[in-house]
Amino acid sequence: MTEILRVEQVTKTYGKRGEKQYQALKGINFTVNSGEYVAIMGASGSGKTTLLNILSTLDKPTSGHVFINHEDNSTLNANQLADFRSKQIGFIFQDFNLLENLTNRENIALPLSLQGISTKRIDPLIDRIAGRLGIEQILAKYPAEVSGGQKQRVAAARALVHEPAILLADEPTGALDSKSARELLDTMEDLNQNDGITTLMVTHDPFAASFASRILFIKDGKIGKQMLKNELSRQEFYHLLIDHLDTDE
Amino acid sequence: MIWKLSLTGIKSRLKDYLVLFSGLTVASMVFYMFLAIAVNPAFIKNDIHVRTDYLKYIFIFGIVLLVIITLVYLLYADTFLLSMRKHDYGMYMMLGAKSTRIGRLIFGETLITGLLATFLGLILGFGLTWISLKILISKLGLEIPHFQVILPNAIIITIAFFLVIFLVVALANVYKLTHTPVITLLHEDQAPVKFRYRPFLRVIEAAGGVFLLAIGYYVMTLPKEQVFKIIPTALVTIVIGSYLIFAAVFSSLVGLLLKRKSFSYHGIRMFTLGQLKFRLQSYTRVLTMISLLFALALGAITVGLNFDSLNDLATQSVYYDATIVSNSSAVKKAESKLDVISKQTYHYKETKKILYFDQAELSKQPAKYVSVNYSNNRGVTQYTVKALQVNKISDSNAIDNTIFMRMVPNHGQQKVKLVSSKELSKLSGQKNFVSLLRVKDFRQAYPIIAKIESQQVKEKPAFSALVPQSKAAFYGNSLAYSSSFEFMGFFLGFAFLTMLASTLMFKVLSGAAGDKAKYRMLYQMGTRKQLLRRSIKAEIGVLFLLPALLGVIDVLFGLQLFKDLLENPYRSIWIPFVIFIILYSFYYLLTVKLYEKLVLTKE
Ligand SMILES: Nc1ncnc2c1ncn2[C@@H]1O[C@H](COP(=O)(O)OP(=O)(O)OP(=O)(O)O)[C@@H](O)[C@H]1O
Ligand SMILES: [Mg+2]
Repeated sequence: MTEILRVEQVTKTYGKRGEKQYQALKGINFTVNSGEYVAIMGASGSGKTTLLNILSTLDKPTSGHVFINHEDNSTLNANQLADFRSKQIGFIFQDFNLLENLTNRENIALPLSLQGISTKRIDPLIDRIAGRLGIEQILAKYPAEVSGGQKQRVAAARALVHEPAILLADEPTGALDSKSARELLDTMEDLNQNDGITTLMVTHDPFAASFASRILFIKDGKIGKQMLKNELSRQEFYHLLIDHLDTDE
Repeated sequence: MIWKLSLTGIKSRLKDYLVLFSGLTVASMVFYMFLAIAVNPAFIKNDIHVRTDYLKYIFIFGIVLLVIITLVYLLYADTFLLSMRKHDYGMYMMLGAKSTRIGRLIFGETLITGLLATFLGLILGFGLTWISLKILISKLGLEIPHFQVILPNAIIITIAFFLVIFLVVALANVYKLTHTPVITLLHEDQAPVKFRYRPFLRVIEAAGGVFLLAIGYYVMTLPKEQVFKIIPTALVTIVIGSYLIFAAVFSSLVGLLLKRKSFSYHGIRMFTLGQLKFRLQSYTRVLTMISLLFALALGAITVGLNFDSLNDLATQSVYYDATIVSNSSAVKKAESKLDVISKQTYHYKETKKILYFDQAELSKQPAKYVSVNYSNNRGVTQYTVKALQVNKISDSNAIDNTIFMRMVPNHGQQKVKLVSSKELSKLSGQKNFVSLLRVKDFRQAYPIIAKIESQQVKEKPAFSALVPQSKAAFYGNSLAYSSSFEFMGFFLGFAFLTMLASTLMFKVLSGAAGDKAKYRMLYQMGTRKQLLRRSIKAEIGVLFLLPALLGVIDVLFGLQLFKDLLENPYRSIWIPFVIFIILYSFYYLLTVKLYEKLVLTKE
């Protein structure tokens, strides 16, 4: 099993020296292997978004290192970081973040054209991922013309079309109704199990987390504990999780 | 408390506020200048050569145009102001501030911003007026050593005008914001833009636009007998044609480019094109207006600069450059400075009924005159130089009358009689003389000739009756009007260009808040900052370029309208173009900088 992501002693302190400072992350360590589906759970303010921003190279850790595909982010300059993000990382956000001025197809094409993939190869790649996510019918429409669930699928297609090393998702079901949320989670699970897409999802929703194969709990800026799904079914894992959260309160 | 919030809100957007504020300041500054010139007491007393009291109408006309452009400008500046503050207002309301309080806040903010800008503009306006008057007076060749630049009337009118405008704008803002749901105030940025599809309708619109514009351009090249049909036709077809072109042609072209994947699937192009396609749609009205007003401004400057050639026309109807009736040392001294190419002197005596002229002098060098023929049906006047036929002088001859009218003050009913010089000496009464001069370069000699004529009026008040008929008077008046027009065309054109460019700037910047999320997303996706900047430059560049291009084409055809009036209406067209390019590039770069600051988040 190959290692995709390694987080070593990452800390993050907000606020400049001399001003009032706040340490949001206090030494985070964990690794994610290729093909894993990891969820990070934690209460509000526990540092989830801070961590995800650091993993995705949008923010720099105060100390510590993040390796993606064995490459240390902290050694890269701004342009290299941008290139790194565009190649290695796929994002899904809570609020979709699709470009309203482009059709869904154009939205999905954007990461490829930004990487300079040749024009001829772009459309086949889009068609393949669209087929996988069941959005072939809505490719010609604009984001404003499709439902929230469909938007999030388009966003997922855009995150995956360039075959990133890891898919990062911040509360991807946060803005969806329960049926659309369920469908999206099923799809993500399917992509992980059948296409081997390494996924790291941040959420505070136990239902969403129960789709993962491993759950890391973050509390007060530290990884407190982890739970493994192992041979459990999703329902069993969900109930175990609920019990755990109840006793933890 | 809420005022404190408001101040912090403004402070955080101080730079954007400064841009807006300086725009408003310039508007009131230029407004005051025009007004101060129009009502300036320096121009109420006429110069002997120039009727300056009419000049004010030219400047009042300028003010009317300025009011129009100021209103348009303020409309867009205000939209920008609102776009900056909307989110804050929404937040205060969400936090439970009563909408009447917010209303008062908005009202106060708008009014205070506006009035502060007006006052600052007034103060700067004094300086601008002083400079402008200096330039104008020297251009007119007037001698007005002292003039006022601080005119209570003009100050009151300027303040009243801007007060009324800002009151209306403030009330409109209160209405707009208090009648918008809080949620829209907070999230308007995310609201998707509607896009019209109907490709068929697009094609028709595009074809119609091109067709109408072509008609408009064509009619302007037609002969000018039917100018009253040409101008309305051109106006209607060009306005509608431009609108349709902006509505259909450009965004369709961008749409086509977007569909050509070999072009659009390339780096960030797709995003830039997508932005443009929607922008061009929602900017149809602004871009149309800007292209038309650009054309007007450029045209006004070009034509204004060309009015100078009318001054030569004005002098053509008078043959002699100067009339001298005094041999005082002052006149002689001035005359010695002239580059005289011909001078003829006639002696005469007058009684109540008869003018006695020296026959020998007149026969030797018959006075010449210009015969003006208006009969040409294209409105072109013909000037022919003729000489007095001395042996055929009769008192009923109108031509003879006008010739002698230019030589003898108050010549009207007297009969002209030619006598020998001996007879002339024997007659009782004072022997007068009149010298008719031609100089090498009248334009150059004009100031001296004007001085000689004023001196002669001082010495012989009766001579003042001759002045309005003199070449110097014709030229002086023409010069006054052409210089005023030139000055106004220049200044107004300048004001128009500035305000239009900044209107476009505000329009673009008003959309920045809504684009912030897009650029953040692109950045997160791993788009390099340089690439984002390039996209912004290209997008704003196209938005600036299109109206400029259409405006320039409009001017090039529009100047055809003046080809009968002016010798060469395209003369010195490069001047407004250079000004235009400099001003416009400045605003383009400023817009790009401000926009980048608004949409690109710092790391
Ligand atoms: N830019 C910042 N400056 C200062 N403190 C910050 C900043 N961003 C976050 N924090 C603080 O760091 C802590 C962790 O924030 P973070 O956004 O990572 O929480 P989270 O786990 O994502 O919470 P939620 O579930 O509510 O999204 C919080 O206490 C927050 O107040
Ligand atoms: Mg968060």
